[in-house]
Amino acid sequence: MCSKRAILLLALLLAVPAAAKVFVSVDEALKLAFPGCEVVRKTAFLTPEQVKRARELAGAEVPSALVSYYEAVKGGQPAGTAWFDTHRVRTLPETLMVVVDPQGRVGRIEVVSFREPEEYLPRDVWYDQFRGRPLDPGLQLKRGIHPVTGATLTARATTDAVRRVLALRQVVLAGARP
Amino acid sequence: MRFQRGITWLAAVALAFALAPAAFAQSTGDPVKDLQRQVDQLKSEIAAMKAGNTGGDAGRVAELERRLEVLAGEIEKLKIGEAAAAADRSDFGLGPAASKVYRAERGISIGGYGEIAWQKIQETGEGEEDDLRAKAEDEEEEEEGAPGRHFDLRRAVVYFGYKWSDRIVFNSEVEYEHAGDEVSVEFAYLDFLWRPEANFRAGLILLPVGFLNELHEPTVFLGADRPDVEQRILPSTWREGGFGLFGQAGPFTYRTYIVDGLNAAGFTDDGLRGGRQGGDEASAKDLAWVGRLDYTGIPGLTVGGSVYAGKAGQGLEAPDGRELGVSTRIYEGHLEWKWRGLEFRALGAQARLSDVAALNAALDLEGDESVGERLTGYYVQAGYDLLAGRGGQALVPFIRWETLNTQDSVPSGFRANPDTDIRNLTVGLEFKPIEQVVIKADYRDVHNRARTGADRVTLLLGYVF
Repeated sequence: MCSKRAILLLALLLAVPAAAKVFVSVDEALKLAFPGCEVVRKTAFLTPEQVKRARELAGAEVPSALVSYYEAVKGGQPAGTAWFDTHRVRTLPETLMVVVDPQGRVGRIEVVSFREPEEYLPRDVWYDQFRGRPLDPGLQLKRGIHPVTGATLTARATTDAVRRVLALRQVVLAGARP
Repeated sequence: MRFQRGITWLAAVALAFALAPAAFAQSTGDPVKDLQRQVDQLKSEIAAMKAGNTGGDAGRVAELERRLEVLAGEIEKLKIGEAAAAADRSDFGLGPAASKVYRAERGISIGGYGEIAWQKIQETGEGEEDDLRAKAEDEEEEEEGAPGRHFDLRRAVVYFGYKWSDRIVFNSEVEYEHAGDEVSVEFAYLDFLWRPEANFRAGLILLPVGFLNELHEPTVFLGADRPDVEQRILPSTWREGGFGLFGQAGPFTYRTYIVDGLNAAGFTDDGLRGGRQGGDEASAKDLAWVGRLDYTGIPGLTVGGSVYAGKAGQGLEAPDGRELGVSTRIYEGHLEWKWRGLEFRALGAQARLSDVAALNAALDLEGDESVGERLTGYYVQAGYDLLAGRGGQALVPFIRWETLNTQDSVPSGFRANPDTDIRNLTVGLEFKPIEQVVIKADYRDVHNRARTGADRVTLLLGYVF
């Protein structure tokens, strides 16, 4: 019995904060996504109706009505937008940068920071599945996106984040039209 | 109208504050207070403008809009966290690998999982007692073997870890089995991270064999009970003290460890489980090597294999005084394919032992009690998520067929016990209301050559957090 208590005590003593891992900063991620482009940060303040619409399109939670994104322009032509989505994976958050091309398709995904153990990170090739995908019913785990053993929660959170970004982009751009 | 928009924006900013996760708010401290103070100030200014001037002041409104933009930017930084802050001190133009930045932003990290089971094991006919004897001998058997109905809090597990830096990490799993009847440290190791291709691990580590030894949370595998092949041929959960390298290169991942070997004194006709030492004052007289290689270059597909090789004598002597080596080799290959709602797994394993006749003599094993010279087993399993692509829920009927023989070969002078030649057919259903909670129900038709297999029905509630 004493050994059980000792193990529990040891475990509790060890349960101290863990440091986060930042793979790339926001500015670095933007430079990677839009080399040679002029990048401007934009802010959208969604109405409750827009939040509801984005939630319906995404099929995922839209936690905030305040949406920031980055618009890139090269040679006077739009080069795409980048969106940073922070969400919980298991118990801790990760931040992804999702780049969307001017046609509304996923350009690239960059893991900006990840506080869960790195064993829960899928391989790069898994993220490549999203490239070129629009917001459609196929953009779902176990549909157009293959799951990955050992990182199911990350795969689910990533898929939800990408759907959320594409939905927000639709809503924000629709709201911006005159 | 502009005032109304300004007020709406302010409300949105305030709402964003309210919705910001508490963890972020706690971790940022003063910046939040600063932002709140600025929001309050803007509110006061707008209120003053409304009270004193209905005609509008374009300059003032523009200034308020600018300030709101600044606040929106600050809130974005709070949401993103460390990466946004790190930008302030990063060197632009460097690639991600060259510009990795770390900051001592901290948060408590505790995880865990558990399994609560109800099981009915049917009575069997003649020979039943023999069939159950082998199970009873192994006190750590994953499933209770006695006929009847059982309720069992099989395991409640807590993960703890500590990260001193981005280079040195501690990870551990403390497991309570059978409502606290048994407590064990499933693993406790230090990782020294160098680069993706090569990292060092030392401590009490899980051997990288099969699907389940390293990944055995209830939401990860189909079925209430683990396949017998991954309990008797690959004795999961199998952990030993050791050290080695792990990493990934291109589409491959690998692990290679030196560990303390199995202890042959615990081998039985039922398999190798009793030979696990588990870091409990383990003998390290005989060491072993274990290595694993997986190909994961195609999303959804994992193909790989593992090899374990070492002696298991640990100083055990034969009746003639000769020290036994008991060379033990375990080969295993596996394939997993996940495509849309389909989950398919196949695994085959074989163990080969030497000095078994002398080992039997040392352990007073006679007749059909011999430890196997060769143990073999494989299984195939398929399930399909009927709710695939419809959000986070899953409803997966599945089927698994496995065959194993823990006495596939025995030394001359001994005979195999027919109850070690087993065929299992398991059919079941699992439902996940969310990704971290699973309800499982399955029926296992257990057949062995002695016709003493005890069929079982199992209901299980599993969770991870």
